[in-house]
Amino acid sequence: MTLNFDWRVLRHPLYTLGLALVALHLLIAIGAPLISPFDPIELIGARTEAPSANFWLGTDVLGRDYFSRLLHGGRMALLVAFTGVLISVFLGSLTGIACAYLRGPFDHAIMRLVDVKLALPGILFIALFVTGLGESAPVLVALIGLVYMPGVIRIVRAQAITQISLDYVRAAQLRGESAAAIIWREVYPNTLDIIFVEFAIRMSHAVLLLSSMSFLGLGISPPTPDWGLMVSEGVGQMSFAPWLVLAPALFISTLVLGLNFGAEALAAALGVDASRGKVG
Amino acid sequence: MTLLNVDQLTVAYQQADGGWLETVKQASFQLRPGACLGIVGESGSGKSTLARALMGYCRNGGSILGGTVRLDTQTIVPAAPDARNPFRGLGMAYVPQNPLSSLTPHCRVGDQVSEAVRCNQRVSRAAAKAHTLELFKATGLPAPEQLYQRYPHQLSGGQRQRVVIAAALAAQPRLLILDEPTTALDKTTEKQVLELIQQLRDRFNTALIYVSHDLNVIARMCDDVLVMRHGRIVEQGPTTQLYQSPRHAYTRALLAAMPAVDPSRCAAPASPRPASDSLLQVEALRFSYQRPASWMSRLGLAGQAARPAVQSLSFRIPRGETLGLVGESGSGKSTVAALVAGLYAPDGGELRFDGVTLPAGLKARSQAQRRRIQVVFQDPLSSLNPRHRVADILIRPLTLFFGLNNTLARRRVLELMEALHLDPALLERYPRQLSGGQQQRVAIARAFAAEPELIICDEITSALDASVQAQVLRTLRELQASTGVTLLFISHDLGVVQQMAQSVLVLRHGAVQAYGRTEDIFRHPPNDYTRLLLEASAAPVFSSGHGNRAKPAASTDSDILLFSSRTALHETPSPHRSAPRSEGRIATRA
Repeated sequence: MTLNFDWRVLRHPLYTLGLALVALHLLIAIGAPLISPFDPIELIGARTEAPSANFWLGTDVLGRDYFSRLLHGGRMALLVAFTGVLISVFLGSLTGIACAYLRGPFDHAIMRLVDVKLALPGILFIALFVTGLGESAPVLVALIGLVYMPGVIRIVRAQAITQISLDYVRAAQLRGESAAAIIWREVYPNTLDIIFVEFAIRMSHAVLLLSSMSFLGLGISPPTPDWGLMVSEGVGQMSFAPWLVLAPALFISTLVLGLNFGAEALAAALGVDASRGKVG
Repeated sequence: MTLLNVDQLTVAYQQADGGWLETVKQASFQLRPGACLGIVGESGSGKSTLARALMGYCRNGGSILGGTVRLDTQTIVPAAPDARNPFRGLGMAYVPQNPLSSLTPHCRVGDQVSEAVRCNQRVSRAAAKAHTLELFKATGLPAPEQLYQRYPHQLSGGQRQRVVIAAALAAQPRLLILDEPTTALDKTTEKQVLELIQQLRDRFNTALIYVSHDLNVIARMCDDVLVMRHGRIVEQGPTTQLYQSPRHAYTRALLAAMPAVDPSRCAAPASPRPASDSLLQVEALRFSYQRPASWMSRLGLAGQAARPAVQSLSFRIPRGETLGLVGESGSGKSTVAALVAGLYAPDGGELRFDGVTLPAGLKARSQAQRRRIQVVFQDPLSSLNPRHRVADILIRPLTLFFGLNNTLARRRVLELMEALHLDPALLERYPRQLSGGQQQRVAIARAFAAEPELIICDEITSALDASVQAQVLRTLRELQASTGVTLLFISHDLGVVQQMAQSVLVLRHGAVQAYGRTEDIFRHPPNDYTRLLLEASAAPVFSSGHGNRAKPAASTDSDILLFSSRTALHETPSPHRSAPRSEGRIATRA
């Protein structure tokens, strides 16, 4: 099973920038414990100290090193977004292909559920569940999975419908292959390119959604360092310590920007129409 | 005086590794006003690239590296740097191969042609519409006013191509470039479109460049021919001369591969067998496509119309023989294939396979029944999973039907590859990395892997070039001789059917028009429709040059032969067919 990547897209400066930003953020997230000067949750300084040689960005309201917290702040969000999106893309694509292949009542039922979900604002949906189930990481992963699945189902279903009209599916039916074998063995590999692009696009959405949720106090809970939380904590000090808001905001936006350009680069490399992936 | 002057034209495409691949190499030729030049070659020979480069256009990744193209006094290549719209007012028009993809699906066809009119002339909308309707009339489209409002999907293939030709004529071109304009059409429609092109050429005195891989069509249409191979022009000259005494070996090979109807070449009858030993017996088969119930019909507002696709069809195929199933597109050929294969369940009638009634529908059939009937589809690229390697594709039926382990299956796969003259190195490739002929061989190998007794071949060579087609059919005949497999051979090409099949069934609108031994049907067509079909795929009859139309041959007296001026029937059953005109026809053999 191979995907035909066209590496020539790397000649496009925006795509290269996108991939470089994503790579940089991944390096920081993975290497944070090694490169950050202090433990991000340890109270080691005075409250809201100004930046100094010791604490590069000063300390937060509880006296923790702000720079160390910043380096750690993407870890949980990225982990939750990655796992959640992986679940939504994997289950969503199989469901989408199943809809396209089986049609009939199954397809109708799933597609109406998808319509209902797409009509609900994601943040409202999450707010309801988080209030009910608490804000642990597994709950967040499941919610991210659930929020993005309908969009994935739709996109992959459309792609699968064109694949199912091809004769190789007919040939498999004539061999007497089961529906599951046709979905998994025949059609699924042929939707992989669009699935990859879906994954990249949903990742950027998910990172932004998780940050918004933390900002609203519905997402990752303290004391875990998180950019969204840090923005919300820093808003009070905005007038005299603006970096407390600006620094995490910069980290969020560069990551989301990188993921967006990266997704477009991936779409271009695979020859997928990225605009189709932005539905839902 | 020349209309078009092409000198040393070279076109290249950039490869993934950054290098350039020349697809047209130093092409030079000239064209007189009103003349018709044919460009022939296999797919990949660079003929379409050349045709587009004549207008100064290349597909993405391509570039015109050198040479000049002049139309009258205008220089088209190299293009003037300030030419913002190189296509406007060129005096050239282009008709691409697939009319469905060249028409915008969501726009009415009339508006699309009107737009072309308004691109070329500054006229009001109303005037453009009037002009479009005239063009529709000139291209022989029925009821232009109604047709104007239709969308491309509501038109037949022939009508779509007429619309595209009308749009091309909107530019009032002095040169019309036709890139395989009839390849997507069935034989009878093709013939009508070719007639139309000839009429238009007379009427507007347009010069034509006709790109095709079909030598029969080129012979019928063109005064001069240019043969291309690997981007190079290997031979050019007047059509009759080139066909009768080809100088280049490649031209000879191309001509030899040309299938044509010839009563002396009927497939040898298999040894006579008792009538009871028929492998497949079809009795009064009926099927109609049920239109999906719309909300209108559910509310009882609209009647649910079912179109019969197959009406009371009966035939039988003796074991080891081949039945040719022919007809135009839409005649129900592929529906019959799907019914026999079990993809559709018939509305009525009976299918008996090896003396046992076949259950309707695939799920009701046993694994053994499914194994014994295999299908080879028309388009090999669509019937082979693009993400599976050739090895995976061939191993699957072996493990599924015979439970072979990997080692045994691999050994069997190598045997199959050898039987189909495929290089074992191809096993690790993906279908897209194979040529069209190799792809179809893999598809045939997959069918034979199941060790079937009946193979349904649904237009298996219509996507292939003539020379490749001949090779694939030869291999298929070899395999039939060695395995004794029975074939249901579906094709719209009677030349091919004649070579392959011992008996023929002609289908039209799902009903039998003719059924019998190939020889009888081809020598004595039982009705006008069969004769029309035979005529449409007859051997080439040369165009007699511009403005000098041949009179209809004496035998084409039937009223239904609307466009019969340049083809003749073979009225005698003798192997030496009488030539209607002295310079007329040549016999070709495969």
